Amino acid sequence: MSDLAQPMIEVFDVAKDYDHGTIRALDGVSLTVDRGEFVAVTGRSGCGKSTLLHLLAALDRPSRGRIVVDGRDLVQRGDLDEFRRREIGLVFQLHHLLAHLDATENLEVAMMGTHRRRAEKRVRALELLDAVDLGARATMRPPRLSGGERQRLAIARALVNEPGILLADEPTGALDTRSIDSVLALFRRIRDERGTTIVLVTHDPTVSAATDRIVEMRDGRIVDRGVSTA
Amino acid sequence: MTMFSLVVKNLLTRRARSILTASAVAIGVMTVVALGVLTFSLRETAISILRTGKADFTVAQEGVSDLLYSALDVGDLQRISAHPEVESAIGVLVATVDLDDEHPLFLELGLEPEGLEEFGVRVVDGRRYAADAENEVMLGYRIAADLDKGVGDSIDIDDSAFEVVGLFATGQVFGDSAAMMPLRPLQARERKPGALTLAFVRVDPSADIESLRTAIEDESPQLATVRTESDFGRVDRNLALLNAANFGGSILALLIGAVGVMNTTLLSFFERTREFGVLRAIGWSRRRLLVLVVGEALIVSLFGAGAGVGLGFAAVAFLERLPDLLGVFRPEFTSAVFGRALGFAFGMTFLGALYPALRAVRLLPIEAVRHE
Repeated sequence: MSDLAQPMIEVFDVAKDYDHGTIRALDGVSLTVDRGEFVAVTGRSGCGKSTLLHLLAALDRPSRGRIVVDGRDLVQRGDLDEFRRREIGLVFQLHHLLAHLDATENLEVAMMGTHRRRAEKRVRALELLDAVDLGARATMRPPRLSGGERQRLAIARALVNEPGILLADEPTGALDTRSIDSVLALFRRIRDERGTTIVLVTHDPTVSAATDRIVEMRDGRIVDRGVSTA
Repeated sequence: MTMFSLVVKNLLTRRARSILTASAVAIGVMTVVALGVLTFSLRETAISILRTGKADFTVAQEGVSDLLYSALDVGDLQRISAHPEVESAIGVLVATVDLDDEHPLFLELGLEPEGLEEFGVRVVDGRRYAADAENEVMLGYRIAADLDKGVGDSIDIDDSAFEVVGLFATGQVFGDSAAMMPLRPLQARERKPGALTLAFVRVDPSADIESLRTAIEDESPQLATVRTESDFGRVDRNLALLNAANFGGSILALLIGAVGVMNTTLLSFFERTREFGVLRAIGWSRRRLLVLVVGEALIVSLFGAGAGVGLGFAAVAFLERLPDLLGVFRPEFTSAVFGRALGFAFGMTFLGALYPALRAVRLLPIEAVRHE
């Protein structure tokens, strides 16, 4: 059972090295994100913000330090597939949808391995497509969707297993202004309606301005943890 | 969406690659089917010579390259007959002749008329040939029908005219497609006086057959007794070579097919690295990914196996028409051949898909997601 008073994400003195320690992407990063908080991690290209997000998503392991998500240390966990499937939702800049599957199937693929029955998965997928205003696009494949629609579909995929955390890596990086607005509105709605904790990586100040708190990074370190405006 | 429907969708999306992979499997399966049917049928053809005699065992010269080259003589037959456990021993001379374009290896069996019944020959029309008749012949009912010959007709064999005095049945396709004639005239025509090819031995039911076989082989080391199909290699090295060629050819087909499958599967892996990474990133386990990759390979192999069996039929039909195989190759499509072909198809796929599948499951999601 989750302790609601405990932060959703706790990062303790995390470092990440590449190329046998010759490149340090993160250096002594510590951060806390509360439940239901909508946080933007900003900084220039190469400052380590995407690396931090990948560590939070357990796509990679830190070289040093601890990351605790919902009270459990990721480094100690052996069920990272399960963690990625149930506890977090990931949104990529280039959405990374499966181009040969239609919108509904893209969501159903993300539900494989869960205990839902086939019919339940279909209902869940259609509900979510409606929720992200893609109900009319259910049978369309990603190449036929606009950039904003693809990103909304990617967000729906990230939410399909009802995760407590949504991690988004430059989700608006390839979108026009109108699509950016609709995606940001969707993030806010998800946070407000579902209480989902959202960590969004962006280098766009207009995007970060739409969040509760802005964490700024530079050269692998956090230089400003920001103050929540929620 | 189920795993199966995802597998099918993936294969249909990459049609060209799926077809190429299935083709590699099909060619391998075709080779296995054609070689298997060829070997099995040739072996059956050869072994049916031995079965024709309804004997407890057959005696031939040991270690000849082909059963038809076996050479016994009347003395050997007498020594065999002298064993008290032997109820009867019938000597048969087997020869082949080029009858016509359709029957380039027509079989002639020379044996004494009094041995016909013992040999399991039933006269179904006409009469037996006389012991010393030089121009009398009996035809198996199958070859008689094939040649449109009946009792009283004449037939030219090796530039000599023979009268068909009777039609016979042996219960063996091979025997029923041959001609039988008196032993001595055939020996004379073949310039092999006193020579025999095989001796068919019937044993007293109370006697120990294995002891008798050992006694005969000890007494005449140049002879080998054949009771089971596995003994056959001792008197026909061609068969052993054929089996070895079949085995070697099948292994080569397996390897070539596996390399073909691996080639296309590996290319598919490189093409789909990001897709696999995304699936891992959204929570797919290594095992689930392995099921996807192997499932795709198995479905392709099933289609490849089906196409391969069809191509195998075509290849066998082609082989059947080769002049060198006319008359000796009667294809028999046994379930064992198809079972083996299916096994090879799965084996090929397993070998070919193993490495790409392992690479896919060992992929770190972060590397795959970054993959361009």
